[in-house]
Amino acid sequence: MNSLDPRVTRLPHIGEEGKIVPKASLDQFGTYEVFVQPKEGKPFQHEGIVHAPNLELAYVLAKETFTRRFTCTSLYVTDTRDVFVSPLTEGDKNAYDQIKSSALTFGVKMQFEIYHLPKRGKQHIHVGSVQASSPEEAMSEAKLKFNQGKTVFNIWAIETDNIRFTSPEEQELWLTLPDKKFRDAAEYKGGDKLKNFLESRIEN
Amino acid sequence: MYGGGNTFEVIKADDVAQEDPILLAVFEARIARGEKIEPTDWMPQLYRKQLIRMIEQHGHSEIIGALPEGTWITRAPGFKRKMALMAKVQDEVGHAQLLYSAAETLGKSREQMIDDLITGKSKYSNIFNYPTFTWADCCFISWLVDAGAIVNQLANAKGSYGPYCRALDRICAEESFHLKYGHHCVIYLASGTQKQRDMFQAALNRWWPPMMHFFGPSDKISVHTEMLMKWKVKMGSNDDMRNQFLDMYVPKIWELGFVIPDPNLKKNEETGRWDYTEPDWEEFKRVINGGGPCNKERLEVRRIAEERGKWVREALKTPKAKYVMPLA
Amino acid sequence: MADDQLIIGHRNSEWTGFGPLLEEDIAFSSMAQDKIGHSLALYTILHELGESDPDTVAFTRNANQFHNSIFTELANQEYDFSLIRHFLYDTAEALRFELLTNSTCEPLAQVARKVRGELRYHTLHAKTWMKQLGSATEESVSRLQKSLEQAMPYALGMFEESPYEKEIMEAGIFEGEQKLKELWMAKVEETISQTSLHLPDWKIVQPINGGRIGKHTEHLQPLLDEMSEVFRIDPGAEW
Repeated sequence: MNSLDPRVTRLPHIGEEGKIVPKASLDQFGTYEVFVQPKEGKPFQHEGIVHAPNLELAYVLAKETFTRRFTCTSLYVTDTRDVFVSPLTEGDKNAYDQIKSSALTFGVKMQFEIYHLPKRGKQHIHVGSVQASSPEEAMSEAKLKFNQGKTVFNIWAIETDNIRFTSPEEQELWLTLPDKKFRDAAEYKGGDKLKNFLESRIEN
Repeated sequence: MYGGGNTFEVIKADDVAQEDPILLAVFEARIARGEKIEPTDWMPQLYRKQLIRMIEQHGHSEIIGALPEGTWITRAPGFKRKMALMAKVQDEVGHAQLLYSAAETLGKSREQMIDDLITGKSKYSNIFNYPTFTWADCCFISWLVDAGAIVNQLANAKGSYGPYCRALDRICAEESFHLKYGHHCVIYLASGTQKQRDMFQAALNRWWPPMMHFFGPSDKISVHTEMLMKWKVKMGSNDDMRNQFLDMYVPKIWELGFVIPDPNLKKNEETGRWDYTEPDWEEFKRVINGGGPCNKERLEVRRIAEERGKWVREALKTPKAKYVMPLA
Repeated sequence: MADDQLIIGHRNSEWTGFGPLLEEDIAFSSMAQDKIGHSLALYTILHELGESDPDTVAFTRNANQFHNSIFTELANQEYDFSLIRHFLYDTAEALRFELLTNSTCEPLAQVARKVRGELRYHTLHAKTWMKQLGSATEESVSRLQKSLEQAMPYALGMFEESPYEKEIMEAGIFEGEQKLKELWMAKVEETISQTSLHLPDWKIVQPINGGRIGKHTEHLQPLLDEMSEVFRIDPGAEW
């Protein structure tokens, strides 16, 4: 292909122009939910998703997709299918009102991470963890522990073991983010250059 | 980077007549209260359809929008520009990722959207069908096309669909760097040598007509979108967006001593709006329907990229990972 | 080192917008940016030692004045080759910087300490992909195997000694190419053994050297011409 872009000119000829073999719909990668901690001491919040074949690659791909620009301290990912979701409410209705308090169960207790949606249109935010033997029980435990007057519109529960966390030695992955000034708007102050230029125009 | 030049389908009177009136009333009341719609909410079919169409077009515009600037990615002059342009083009790919994800929450898979892009079934912003002949063309896009996109995206970020708003908030935050970087590049061209100035003036002459097209057909001739406005899918008229852009950027272009190639362009003191030569909407239609200088190349590049990456995606597919709609 | 980072970063940036999946396109581009950033940091040290400014050094020299290993200048080809090069190169790069954290050249040691986090990601990325594709489908394994064999002689060229190797080692600036190569072989073996790929016999592979003394392939000069096309319109101008 002849192009103004030398990279395009170098592209190999493959297949037939305009022809694609349609991909089998929905027969593709899994979906993984990505959570980021913006600052030490701040809660993790939901940032979006990546497509990946497994949890580990999801972690690797999420890192640059979601944490290349703004400073942050940590990241984790989980399979979308491992997120248990409460009903969604509106107005002044609290999602916790829809959670039934479950009877005591005797199964093996696992840890679950709990997330709140504080406002429609905002992100889900991590509020803490509970011990429970099922996701339903985790929701009702969360109701006891985290339902503190404020209206919550949606609750998520994720079993802690299903999360790919950042290991302590991986914390250094984000250390140089503040130095990457070439991606920072504040680095592109044209003010002085512009001022000198305008002044020189007036003189001429 | 995306303008208002998207094409909505003509809405027929009975499109919402079949919807459950009670659910519809709850839905409309929620939007009227200023609350966002989330993926698991009930929504009218028309709302879903038009949103998918709009967000998908926006996503395509980002991934295709990476190409005209990408034309100069291996040639950016000096370290500072080289790294910034790499990061900027990368951001456009990242924005496509975010937008496709938002559209996925409405039920259309990314793979399907990319197929529809390559076969020409769905559209993208018209402006990326024009070539970037010189480095200055690339700077024009970085500054002014991004500026236009931000005008539009800031408006859309106040829309009603939660996942789209979240994606846009993130995109707008990232694009503030693009805008500053672009302006910085142009200031350097403006205050540089005569050759540099001439380069940018030539780019401005080439890009002004597509820039005026960027916000979409004039309100006088575009399809009626009252319903979409009420549902906060479309957040401002094409002419309003265009006017807002002119308000913000014409003075900045003039300040640098460049001449905008439209003798009729001036602010009308009475109306407070800009007068300009009516853009050639026939040309706009011709280009959007495939007749532009680069339509063919842009789609070919995407097709070849998909073909070349096919073995990678095939190899990664496992029966264990299963595609599901994203949550938010 | 600076030339290595610049040329490999430039090559990898050619993938931006053309990657096999969106998320990977983004990740690969970030690492390319990091490498260009590293080259800038190194050219800056040279500038402080009396060389011209980084832009001039990077954008105005000809191929025979570049000291990058030939491995970095080779064309990208398909993603299999780019990934293999990424794995082989970045494994060496991370080890090289790790050794340099103890360098007696303090500015160099500082840069080396600083980029550690970035390189941790680059190697994590490379290893994860090798393990994934190196034992996936018949096609992916055979593609990677072919690229691995093609790349290996060039990869060994990364450890070509400069004419000053002895002085550099004696001054405690760097522990030497030979040591680096041994560390690198062990790391490469460790990852490859977890895949269906086979390493060529180290004893048989002949390194392709020359890069460190300015002898390059036909790939480098066109790359440099392209990279400096705009800059050379007016090297005195500010862009």
